[in-house]
Amino acid sequence: MPPVLVIAGKDLRQRFRDRSAIVLGFVAPLAIAALMSFAFRGADTFHVTIGVVDRDHGPIAAAFTGFLLGPDLRGIVTERPVTDVTTARRLVHDGTIAAAIVIPPGFSTAATRSGNTRLVELTSVNSRLGGEVSRSLAESFVSQVNADRLSVATALSGASGTTAGTVAQLTAAAEHLRVPESVVNRPIGSRPLKAVSYYSPAMAIFFLFFAIGFTARSFYSELRDGMIDRIAAAPVRPATVLFGKALSVVVYGIASLGTVLLCTALLFGAHWGNPLSVAALCLAMTTAVVALTAFVIAVARTDRQSDGFSALIVFGLSLLGGNFVTISAAPPLMRRLALLTPNGWALRGFVDLTTGARGAAVVLQPVVAILAFSAVFASLAVVFSRRLVIR
Amino acid sequence: MTVLAIAGSRARRIVRDRLALFFIVVLPVLVIVIIGSIVGGTGTFRVGVVDRDRGPLSLSLEHDLAHARGIDLFRYHSVASGKTALRRSEISALVEIPAGADARLRSGRTVAIVAYGERANSDQQSAIATVSSVIAVSGARVQAASFAQQQVGGDFTTHLATAARLEAGSSSVAVATRSVDSKSNVLPRGFSYSAPTMLVLFVFINALAGGAAMIWTRQLGMYDRMLAAPVSPRQIVFGETFVYFLIALVQSLLIVGVGAVVFGVHWGDPVAAAALIVSWALVGTGAGMLAGTVFSTPEQSTSIAPTVGIVMGMLGGCMWPLEIVGSTMRTIGHVTPHAWAVDAWTALLSRNGRLVDIARDLAVLLAFAAALLVAATSRLRRALSA
Repeated sequence: MPPVLVIAGKDLRQRFRDRSAIVLGFVAPLAIAALMSFAFRGADTFHVTIGVVDRDHGPIAAAFTGFLLGPDLRGIVTERPVTDVTTARRLVHDGTIAAAIVIPPGFSTAATRSGNTRLVELTSVNSRLGGEVSRSLAESFVSQVNADRLSVATALSGASGTTAGTVAQLTAAAEHLRVPESVVNRPIGSRPLKAVSYYSPAMAIFFLFFAIGFTARSFYSELRDGMIDRIAAAPVRPATVLFGKALSVVVYGIASLGTVLLCTALLFGAHWGNPLSVAALCLAMTTAVVALTAFVIAVARTDRQSDGFSALIVFGLSLLGGNFVTISAAPPLMRRLALLTPNGWALRGFVDLTTGARGAAVVLQPVVAILAFSAVFASLAVVFSRRLVIR
Repeated sequence: MTVLAIAGSRARRIVRDRLALFFIVVLPVLVIVIIGSIVGGTGTFRVGVVDRDRGPLSLSLEHDLAHARGIDLFRYHSVASGKTALRRSEISALVEIPAGADARLRSGRTVAIVAYGERANSDQQSAIATVSSVIAVSGARVQAASFAQQQVGGDFTTHLATAARLEAGSSSVAVATRSVDSKSNVLPRGFSYSAPTMLVLFVFINALAGGAAMIWTRQLGMYDRMLAAPVSPRQIVFGETFVYFLIALVQSLLIVGVGAVVFGVHWGDPVAAAALIVSWALVGTGAGMLAGTVFSTPEQSTSIAPTVGIVMGMLGGCMWPLEIVGSTMRTIGHVTPHAWAVDAWTALLSRNGRLVDIARDLAVLLAFAAALLVAATSRLRRALSA
């Protein structure tokens, strides 16, 4: 068997004998993915129940209820008739409904004349988004009434003389108006970004980063025990040792990422798109881990120092790259900073794949960026490793 | 005195350890900054807009969208880049104002404004409903100007200015909002969310990972050497417990201090907050010491501890409010001490709670701490006496 494979096989056996490698590479990311899937089951979509207290019983109140029950709002809103304001307040307070709209007595009459009237929205501080949607819907409904009133007032303001007949004529003409700007909903054919689809690769990559520390520590342990010197005494080139160790990290990384992605697809319904694209991302990411490991080994002087550098890299990159938080929810500056990290690019690739983006560029750009990052750190490792050789 | 000497020796080793200081001081602050800045943006819909017209009416609509309640507006130069942002969930809806919109509206014709969003995605549909409301209100002025021009003649722009002026002072059908409660069940947004949750998360994780130090001490034979001196196992146990408690307390106070001074977090009633910090430090102490006696190698401790800490933090509401998950997950979450600690911080920060308001949470936390400490100290004493 080629020495490269012997060294890689030995390293892998050593790693898997220590249960921590199995915990970090497989158990932990899968446990978190399962937790995410269970916690956010049904929470990936938004739906509000809005109570309606109809104290008016007029035609405009009926039209409002019809508006909430309309086909456009069927997926977002459930309308629940509520008998009185006290009950509505209680239901909003205990979270049974997100908000309630109270239609006051005489609303229909007042709305068709020029006096002031209002719908009252009851909200809770614990349902901010539900309250915003409910308010938007109510405002949307009354906006046509207000637009008609404003149209009459504007026309009257521009008219040379105003009589009762003119007002009646303009009011009648305005009844048939429609706001000239309408909204047309058009889908873009994407899949929703589920929590499990984001956090399973995010956590798999985060735990894969721990391989940097383990590999670096095992190198220093072998150096301290004279194992590296004994290998050097054998007819094995230093490059062979290096490649063997790198290969063990690549195999471990691919196995870890691949298992997590496969299990989340089979068990939790995550979509990953083209398997070749997924494989390219996984391979690129493990290459980055190898480069970072080489960098840590080259820069550190002791196993304790390597622990320190590894911890900085693991948590620095994970925080910046978006492994702990959904980076798409972050401000634009943080999204840009995430693209300074290989994991940030990998997560962008996984997000694009899971949301249904197509084309070679979907993974080509992340893979090139991750490989460029790897090349920079591999080069730095080469520069610093001269110091290691001299040492 | 012997107890303090043991604790002092361990504390000096930790202070000299830059890696430990990174986890105790730097990492929690970094996480508070990042999570705080992200959580600060929730509660509104992020909406993208591509204005292909750039006329005065289009810009006016953009202005209305930018200043609407419940909308954070982001501008995109092309529909393709906006669609990509929508697909990646960077925005919840994309609005495209078509070219020639201004001219069409001025000539009395209608304009269809495209709102991109999946029909099956309720979050996107809700954002579109909010956008539609703003567009309807904005369109009222255009309708009025166009109507006035048709009815009485004159210039569209003049009528538009009149409509804008009249809109502010005219009688209307309004929507008034009344809140039925003022006390929230969730932590405030921004740093007031991230600071207390990260305090709970990191004090616990750090304590668990600190179990590795106890394993190293055991492996190096330092306990054996201590026992060779006139030192009893009980004194070693107390010394270890004291130093773990001290670390957890110092880390908590650092997070509280940085949160208050740098991020302006108001930690609520000082007496209640102090009681909560001490209770949580005791929970961390028990968990860390138990990890030190359960795991056999430092590697196991440093790898399994963060995993256990993160999972318990997720279950307990440190990563997201338990209000947004189902009731089953909320119940499961309260199997962890984290959920009780987050509940207590919520009572202090969101409801101006006092000591009496978090008494039940504190009692549960102290029960957790007692169980963990009894288990850990008895295991350690048994190991030392063996």
